[in-house]
Amino acid sequence: MILVNDVTKAYPTRAGQVKALDSISLEIAQGEFVAVRGPSGSGKTTLLMAIAGMLRPSAGTVKVGQQDIYELNQRDRAAFRAKNIGFVFQMFHLVPYLNISENILLAPRVGGEDNRSSEAARLLDQLGLAGRATHKPAELSAGEKQRTAIARALLNRPKVILADEPTGNLDPDNADTVVKYLCDFQRGGGTVVVATHGPAAEACATRVIHLRDGRLDEAH
Amino acid sequence: MPISNWVPDHMSTIKMILKELWHRKVNFLLGVLAVATAVAFFVAFQTAARASNRETARLMLSMGYNLHIIAGEADVGTFLMTGVASETMPEAYVDKLANQKNISYNHLSATLERQIPWRNLQVILTGLAPEICPPGHKKPPMIFQVDPGTAYLGYQLAHQLGIKKSDTIEVNGTSLKVVKCLTESGGMDDMRIQCHLADAQKILEAPARISEIQAVDCLCFVEGADPVEILRREIGAILPGTQILQAKSVADARAKQRQMVYKVFGVMLPFVIVACGVWIAVLTVMNVRERQTEIGLLRALGYGTGKIGGLFLGKALLIGVFGAVAGFLLGAGLSLGFGPEIFKLTARTTVQPEWSVFLRGLYTAPLFAMVASFIPVMFAVSYDPATTLREE
Repeated sequence: MILVNDVTKAYPTRAGQVKALDSISLEIAQGEFVAVRGPSGSGKTTLLMAIAGMLRPSAGTVKVGQQDIYELNQRDRAAFRAKNIGFVFQMFHLVPYLNISENILLAPRVGGEDNRSSEAARLLDQLGLAGRATHKPAELSAGEKQRTAIARALLNRPKVILADEPTGNLDPDNADTVVKYLCDFQRGGGTVVVATHGPAAEACATRVIHLRDGRLDEAH
Repeated sequence: MPISNWVPDHMSTIKMILKELWHRKVNFLLGVLAVATAVAFFVAFQTAARASNRETARLMLSMGYNLHIIAGEADVGTFLMTGVASETMPEAYVDKLANQKNISYNHLSATLERQIPWRNLQVILTGLAPEICPPGHKKPPMIFQVDPGTAYLGYQLAHQLGIKKSDTIEVNGTSLKVVKCLTESGGMDDMRIQCHLADAQKILEAPARISEIQAVDCLCFVEGADPVEILRREIGAILPGTQILQAKSVADARAKQRQMVYKVFGVMLPFVIVACGVWIAVLTVMNVRERQTEIGLLRALGYGTGKIGGLFLGKALLIGVFGAVAGFLLGAGLSLGFGPEIFKLTARTTVQPEWSVFLRGLYTAPLFAMVASFIPVMFAVSYDPATTLREE
């Protein structure tokens, strides 16, 4: 499903090149739930961005499905991402001037589907946000914000969800709820890659990988 | 009520723009204010320029014509000293001039003048033809029109001879009814009998002849060229053999007065427009910075450059439209409020809302706002979403 092949991401600095990812190779099968652990600065977010097609590697290739996503031009890569990949962030990243249902519908149309509003309503209901549909993000709790972000990620029924510290700003109860939704997605056949500091996501993980200084840490 | 009833189908660009405007009202209103300032200044400039031109024309009536065309055989020295040409030329000359297109003069008035003895006095008899304008240059006449069989009498003549309005005078066998005794001018006009050209031609036994064509030149804005030379070349080609004299002090006064408004606004307008452009650009930079995360998110969700650029340029377009309307109302309001104080003679007819400027503003102001926002928007669409979202 996801094939990361010898990927390096280097940034030039005054002190020389810094490698955020250093020759990472990784294969993730469809239906896997992979937890990526590692300390801050280990390259977890960079790896997710590279898999999402938002950060071109300095070397190596990334395939999602059969598609080498960096062979696509920017526009096609954006369309590919909209159709196949859902993203959940630690900071939720909801648009402050849109209400909750509008934030969910911000996920772009990827085809001629005409049932988006009923799908959004179903997700609101499923994620316990039905009474919050017309509220602005500022009026929601952190848990509700993250559930909104998950609903947005799920709207287009993606094949993959990439989650960057999705429980990082949540209390344990809300963290468990968010992990539960990600598990549900995985049980439905989706692939989940979660970058995480803590152990919350590991309960559902089919595999845990460790990063340190941009490299896979084989010691774990 | 089912939830799907109040869940929209998707987020269109225009819907997002309107919601963002409502969310960040201050940023929007400051943008509108910037465009409105530029538009208001431009509207005020246009209105003032038009009013100033008319006001100047009115004020210059008292200064008279600045262009004199006399017969080639006339003695220039005598004309300059007495104001009366010694020789005549065909009356048809004035029609020839009046029928030209693309010319640099207007307000053509044919006269026949001669100094004659009358009731033991030396007087100037002046026959005036109705003023005519070349095609496409129709303007209200600069001087009064004298009907056939009537006369305007100079102050000294009326005073010394005890002639009053409605009296009938006889000049070389032609009767003229005095319709007006003019107020004292302190010049040659005080010793002038002004009648219709046809009456003067009859009195002076000079049928179809005139001694002078008076006009106003329109060369206020010629730079780097001598207006007299241009006029001599132009008129000389139409009426070969005539002599063209320009009253420079009158012409210069007209030119200076008319250029004054253009000079004042010419200096200020670019400054105001640039300042307002920078103002809008700064507001867009602030807006872009504030929305960095949103831009990164849209990128991450799969939106392309067009959608993100459209959000900002669409906002600029709306700022331009609202600014154009507000600016026009402001500019027109200021013009109508202060115009009558400045242009006392002509304000009632010339200080009016310029609807053509409003229509022009409706498409130039949005364009102006979009151009001013363009560079910040280009930065916005080129943000690296990975960097933006990671920094958060």
